[in-house]
Parts: sequence; structure tokens; C-alpha cells
Amino acid sequence: MGLVESGKLPKPLTKLLNMSRKYSMWVYQWGLACCAIEMGAAFASPRYDVMRLGVIPLPASPRQADFVVVSGTVTDKMAPAVRRLWEQMPDPKYVISMGSCANCGGPYWDSYSVTKGVDQIIPVDVYVPGCPPRPEALLEGIVLLQERILHEDMAERWKGDPIVVQ
Amino acid sequence: MTEVPEHLLKKAAEARAKREAAAGAAAPADDTPASAAAPVDEPEEDVVETDEQAEAALQVLTDQLGDAILDSHIAPGRGLWIRVAATDWRRAATAAKEALHCQFFDWLSVIDWMPSPYGRELDAEQDERETSDPEPMEWGYTGGETRFQMICRVHSVTRHIGVMIKADLADDSPRIDTLIPVYAGANWHEREAIEMFGIVVDDHPDVRNIYLPGGFEGHPLRKDYPLLARRMKPWPGIVDVELMPGEAS
Repeated sequence: MGLVESGKLPKPLTKLLNMSRKYSMWVYQWGLACCAIEMGAAFASPRYDVMRLGVIPLPASPRQADFVVVSGTVTDKMAPAVRRLWEQMPDPKYVISMGSCANCGGPYWDSYSVTKGVDQIIPVDVYVPGCPPRPEALLEGIVLLQERILHEDMAERWKGDPIVVQ
Repeated sequence: MTEVPEHLLKKAAEARAKREAAAGAAAPADDTPASAAAPVDEPEEDVVETDEQAEAALQVLTDQLGDAILDSHIAPGRGLWIRVAATDWRRAATAAKEALHCQFFDWLSVIDWMPSPYGRELDAEQDERETSDPEPMEWGYTGGETRFQMICRVHSVTRHIGVMIKADLADDSPRIDTLIPVYAGANWHEREAIEMFGIVVDDHPDVRNIYLPGGFEGHPLRKDYPLLARRMKPWPGIVDVELMPGEAS
């Protein structure tokens, strides 16, 4: 959209576009460890339903995902796969890091085989602390992400540095 | 500790009195001070039963292996440990499988007996030593002579006995035979032992990393492998800074 890139879009229209975008997200789950169980409760169970926020889980592939929830310990062996799948997601994409292992290495901060935090390989938008965080905590993280999207400046994002896939 | 309910205390006292009466009738009671002072006696029947079973298993293995068993240990209720030379490793496993019907292969691993050069990283009194001499190496059940010991556990479901087999690995070149011809399940356990401790398993069909990423340098489960994160920042769980409620400083 030429109007969006050049920043000539009126504010209320940007807000409207952002609002429509934030309520139609397709979330890609990376369940790597125990946090995946809580993520499953948040996304798939009727009690902590995430669909009421307009977020639908289980996309068919990363190329159709809007944001990704990295839940669980990222090992050094898994890190290249995480990076590759994140690069396969089309812009605009966001990352939620769920649980202390994905935030900072968590209880395995001293291990020989753990990547201390997924933000060492991909940029993270929202950190959800907990070990594991309750499903409600993850839902709050998603709500915070939606708030962030609402106040996002689409022009800045479009004019940003090009993402080079190596 | 919760209080033992009264009716159970009474039952224990009655049982003890009955047993002492029976023992007193059979043989003169010995007046050890411990028996008078102990509030609740552990039943001796269970311990004897497991001992017999483990000792019978040890006898079966000794008949099969003879002098190959360098040392053995029985922990009542827990199992039987035997130690053999590395050259008799496969023989011992075959004996356990065929003579003792230990069909279930539980696990296989390596023990590194070297005391960690980084200390125990706990704030314990025994860790405050005046000298910084290296601690002497100590071995566990059934002793040992070398730094690395291979250990495997096999279990017999029909006879309810578990056997732990240990073997010393030579210090300069730790090699041992593979157990795959005896227990096929040892495949992945041996791969883990190879990558984590750097030992050599002869005739293993598939020597590649199983847990570690390709190109990983070093052998992480050795005691002298440094955990870099801990070297940079000490383990934060060492000292309780906050006093417990009710404690004065």
C-alpha cells in the first residue's frame, strides 16, 4: 500500500487497520518443552480459550503465521531450526517468548547445551515470565502484543531496514 | 515430624513384646542397650528375604563367572552390584542375561569418579579446606581403581532381581566392548556414553552424536568440563541471605 509506506495515511485509519490486524492473528506454536502443555491449555482448551481474543492457533505452516509463541527450552541443537522457521514467516511477524527457558535460559542457565534465551537468535516482542506461566499469563502476553500492534506505526514498519535472509 | 498415633504405638509395643517373648524362649536374650532404647523396631523378615534373593543371584553369577567378579555388594532391598574387568564386560552381561534371566536392559552409563576441580559449589563446612591439594579419588560400591567406570543395570522381571555391573576403564585409553550383541537396547545408551564421556566402545555400529549437536567439542559430563555460565556467575542458590522467621541474626 503506497499510502501506508509514505506515512500519508490518516491516524484513525491506521488505528482501524491495526485494530483489524490485531483481532485476526494466526499464531504459530513452538512447543519445545513443558511450557508447550500450558500453551496447549491456553490455545486448545475451552477454559483458557485464546480464540476469544481473535487469535487462532495451528496454522498450516509458518508461512501463514502472524506471530509465534516460543514455549520451552531452546537447545543449541534446536536453535538453527528456530532461526530458519522464523525467517520463513512473512512480515509483519511478532515473537512471544514464553516461560523462563525461552526468556533467559531459565533453570538451565548453566547448561552446556541450552541457548540462554531465544532472543539470542530471534527478536522478541513480548516476554511472558513463569515456569511454566499459567495459561492466563500467556493470554495476557497476547493481549499486550495486541495492544502493541494497535499502537504500531505501520509506516515505520514498512520503511524499516530490509530483512536479509542469509 | 508428626506424632505416631497412639493405637499404632500400642500395636508396635505388643508386637515387640511378642517377638521378644518368642526370642527369649528360643535363645537367651542379649542385653544390647539398643534393643531396649529403640522405640520402633524395623521388621527383620523383609530384609532377610531380599538378602537371600540377592545372595542367590550372586551365587548364580559366581558359578558362571568365577574369578571374573572382582568385587560385589548387596544393598538389601535395592539390588546387587558386581564389578568385573573391562575384558569380561560382555561375558558378565551374557551371564546375567542367560543364567539369571535378566531380560530387561535398564540403562548403561559411565561414572567419572574424579572430584570436581571446581569444588562442589555449595556453602558447606566441609568444603572450606585449608589446603588446596586435590582431593583423593574415592570410589563407591564395589570399589574401583580408575577414573572412569562403565556401569549398566539389567533386571529380571521373572525373578525380581536387578544387577548393576561395573567395569573399570583404563585411564590412558578407555575402551570397552559393546553390549549390543547381548542387549540390543544398549545401542543408544552407548552412543550417549561415547559422546558425553569420550570413551571408546569397540564394534559399535553407529558412532554418532545422539544428544549433542554436530561439531560439539569436548565431553560435557566429565567432571573437568567447565560450565561457562557458572564460571562467570556463581550459583545463586548458595547462601540464604534472609533469616528464617523467628531467627535472630
